[in-house]
This record gives sequence, C-alpha cells and structure tokens, in this order.
Amino acid sequence: MTDSAIIALAAALAIAFSTLGPAIGQGLTAKAAMEGIARQPEASKDIRSNLIVSLALMEALTIYGLLIAFMLISKI
Amino acid sequence: MSVGEGSEVLFRLFGVLDVTGEVIVMWAMLLIIAVISFVAGKKLKERPGKFQNVIETAVEYLDNFFTDSLGKEKARKNFTFLGSLFIFIIVSNYSGFIPGVGLTPYAKAPTSSLSVTAALGVITFVFLLISGLRRGVKHYFKRFITPMALMLPLLVLDEFIKPVSLALRLYGNIFGEETVTEELYNIFPIGVPVIMMVLSLLFCALQAVVFTMLVSIYLDEVTE
Repeated sequence: MTDSAIIALAAALAIAFSTLGPAIGQGLTAKAAMEGIARQPEASKDIRSNLIVSLALMEALTIYGLLIAFMLISKI
Repeated sequence: MSVGEGSEVLFRLFGVLDVTGEVIVMWAMLLIIAVISFVAGKKLKERPGKFQNVIETAVEYLDNFFTDSLGKEKARKNFTFLGSLFIFIIVSNYSGFIPGVGLTPYAKAPTSSLSVTAALGVITFVFLLISGLRRGVKHYFKRFITPMALMLPLLVLDEFIKPVSLALRLYGNIFGEETVTEELYNIFPIGVPVIMMVLSLLFCALQAVVFTMLVSIYLDEVTE
C-alpha cells in the first residue's frame, strides 16, 4: 500500500470508530430520557435541557474524531 | 482551508494587525448588532411597537434561559456577559448562511476558525476565574480539595480542560458543517448543499445554546 492509501484508511477509521461509541451512548441517553418523560410528563422541561447538554457532551467526542479525520485528509 | 492551517491574510492594518476573512465578517456583525441595539434602545415606549416587541421577546427569552440554570439573582448579575456571548456565537454561526461566505477568502464564518473559538474559551476561563475569586478566595481554592486532597491534580486539570473542550466543540461543529457544505457544493452546486444547510440551521442554534448553557453551569459550580 502506498502512504496516501494508508492515510486515507486511517481517516476513515478515525471517523468510523469515533462515531461508534458516542452513538451507542446517545441512544441509551435518549432512551432513558424518553422513558422518564413517558412516566412523568410534567418533568419533561427539566429532562429536555439536561438531555441536550449530555448529548452535546457526547457529540464532542465524535467532533474530535472528525477533526482528526480532516487533519489526516489534508496530509494526503 | 484545512485543519491547523491559518487563514489567508488579506491586508495588514497599521502594519501589525492581520485582517482575514473572519475579521471582515466580525466587523460587519459588530456594525449590524450595534445599529440594531442603538435603534431599539433609542426610543423605548411604555406600549411597545412592533420592532421593540421583537427585541423584548428575544431579551426575555435569554433572561428565562439563564434564570433556569443560574437562578434569578446570578442570572441578572451576569446577564451582560452571557447574553453577549450567546448573541455573538449565534450570529457568527448563522453568518455562514449568507451566500458567498465560506467560499471566498474575503468572508468566512468567524466561529469556523479555531483562533476565534479559542479566544472565546480564554475569555470564558478568565471570566470563571474572576467570578470564582470574587465569591471568596478561600472558597474558590477549597473547591479543588473538596471530597479529598487526592483529587487536586484531576480538578486542576479539569479547570483547564473546560475552555479547551468548549472551544474545540464549537470549532469542530461549525468547521465540519462548513466543510461538508463546501464538498457538496463542489459535487453539484445547485440544490445539493441544501441538505446539509437545513441540518446546520438546527445545529448552529444548538451549538450557541450548548456553549452558553455549559458556561452558565460552570459559573453556577464556581459561585455556589
């Protein structure tokens, strides 16, 4: 394999793996929030703001992977 | 432009200040926001007209937003800083939608540059430090050894990671959106970029909300 092929593969793997973990985490978070809202609809306002913050914190991990992927692509 | 690469310098002001596309958009934003605020605040009436109504609704929304996470007293006290932060971030995120912004070196969305978001992170760090110390010097340093002294290195590190993660999150989101939109534009310029732009319409507002909400949560932690 040439160097640029390895770099392209590394970029693809970086974004793929950094999406996997946070996706599972966000799914679990959203599931728990939905269950909470279904059980207690009056608490939905508090749950929503906490949900958004926790989703954003997990989203940041994917974004780090995305940045590394862009960085690698520019090296090709 | 790729990650880690500086923006193109268009010209130098007074021989020292490098003016880039982001700076030009920031000047334009500054002018528009200043003119709107000046016009809105010039003639305040007891019974608001149409324009005053819109501005009042926006300010009230921001006030409620900070009151939810900080409580009334602290929200009012820090409203100038947090509100300015929110307005700056949301306007500069949405400035990427103006036709041509992001495609030429003369105009770029300010938050798609790491320098701008890093500056916001540093400002936030100093703001949190000052508000913590004003609450009480002893109280501020006691926070680092609160459960036990063993936590000290972790908590000190955490204090520095906060602004870095804030800056990287905002930069990564906006830069990623701009790059994907640009790639779609290169594939087929008519119609196709709309797919990403509709998504960014949501994410741009969300990023501004998340940034200010996290800053107000950190502020609440520091000054409790």
